[in-house]
Amino acid sequence: MVFHPDGADRSDAAVTSYGQRRSWTHRSIAIACWLLLAGPAAAHSGTGLAGGFASGFVHPLSGFDHLLAMVSVGLWGAFLGRPLIVALPVIFPTVMAIGGVLGIAGVPMPPVEIGIAVSVLVLGGMIAGAVRAPVWLASLIVAVFAVFHGYAHGRELPSAADPVGYSAGFVLATGMLHVVGIGLGLINERPGGALITRGMGGLVMLAGVWFLWTALAR
Amino acid sequence: MRGGVLPPALLFAALAFALAYAPRGVRLPAVAAAIIAAVAVAQAPIAPRWVEYVFFGCWASVIVTAASIHLPRAIGGRVALALGINAGVWAGATVALAGTTLDLAKAAPLLALVVPAAWLVMTRRGIALKVAGSWLIAIAALAAVLPIVPTPGYAPDHME
Repeated sequence: MVFHPDGADRSDAAVTSYGQRRSWTHRSIAIACWLLLAGPAAAHSGTGLAGGFASGFVHPLSGFDHLLAMVSVGLWGAFLGRPLIVALPVIFPTVMAIGGVLGIAGVPMPPVEIGIAVSVLVLGGMIAGAVRAPVWLASLIVAVFAVFHGYAHGRELPSAADPVGYSAGFVLATGMLHVVGIGLGLINERPGGALITRGMGGLVMLAGVWFLWTALAR
Repeated sequence: MRGGVLPPALLFAALAFALAYAPRGVRLPAVAAAIIAAVAVAQAPIAPRWVEYVFFGCWASVIVTAASIHLPRAIGGRVALALGINAGVWAGATVALAGTTLDLAKAAPLLALVVPAAWLVMTRRGIALKVAGSWLIAIAALAAVLPIVPTPGYAPDHME
């Protein structure tokens, strides 16, 4: 006879049966937990939404060089005022699409990483130096750099993904970064704001120097 | 992989932005024309061999419709109606070939963007529409070129 914690007397056979049941219960819970915790099979991880809109949207945000250049376009546009506050964020995505097509097609280009690094450096320098470029020159500078950024996005269109969704994602993210830049540029209208804006431009320019340094070292 | 809700959604968004610059009285008829045309064409038995032309027509329509907001003068009533019918036809055709009626139902609410878009134009904040319109043009331009330059992502995989 065995004394059971619940106070009932039970035979050895009954205890063994009780222990087996409890063991099975524990095993079932463990298996259920293991199944719940197991990750999904990764065979199709490159398809569907994960390789579409979300991937495209994250792409400009994941690279600090892209991010700084996009914000700088908006910031410089805000600094230059009308019509460039509108023109630059309109020109950039349109020309970026052309660069994207070149990237998809695999058309040979000068080293893109260097082009992107130079874009950060120049745009930061323009803001830091408070350069009031004429409309045609500012448009040309932004358009040339847009080709490099678009090319990089186009080359990185993921395999077995939704390319239209991916394109929509990176264009929208790019546009939103421009809007953030324009928003930051509104500081310019406040007393002492121009100094802050130029300071931000200086930091962007320094980051551009770093990007160029690392791009040349590769 | 393409089709689904995205092509009609982008086209309807572009139409909503364009109609914000149209006379107030023509906005609702143009939206109604777009919906009626889309529903009608979505039921049409379009042969699969037309798929490339249909998608190209859809993306070209997005570009033209979104570009119309950059016109120096506001679009007239007839042009607004024509844009509405055109958008409906191409949206319905893409759904007929590579989508479901549910995709059309999901895209249609984007036509309601005409209300905030018109408010932005009225309050002299149309800049936002012009910027957003350029995003639509960029997306459509990339999408229009994809079939010409096939990428691994464009080619059907083993799940399709």
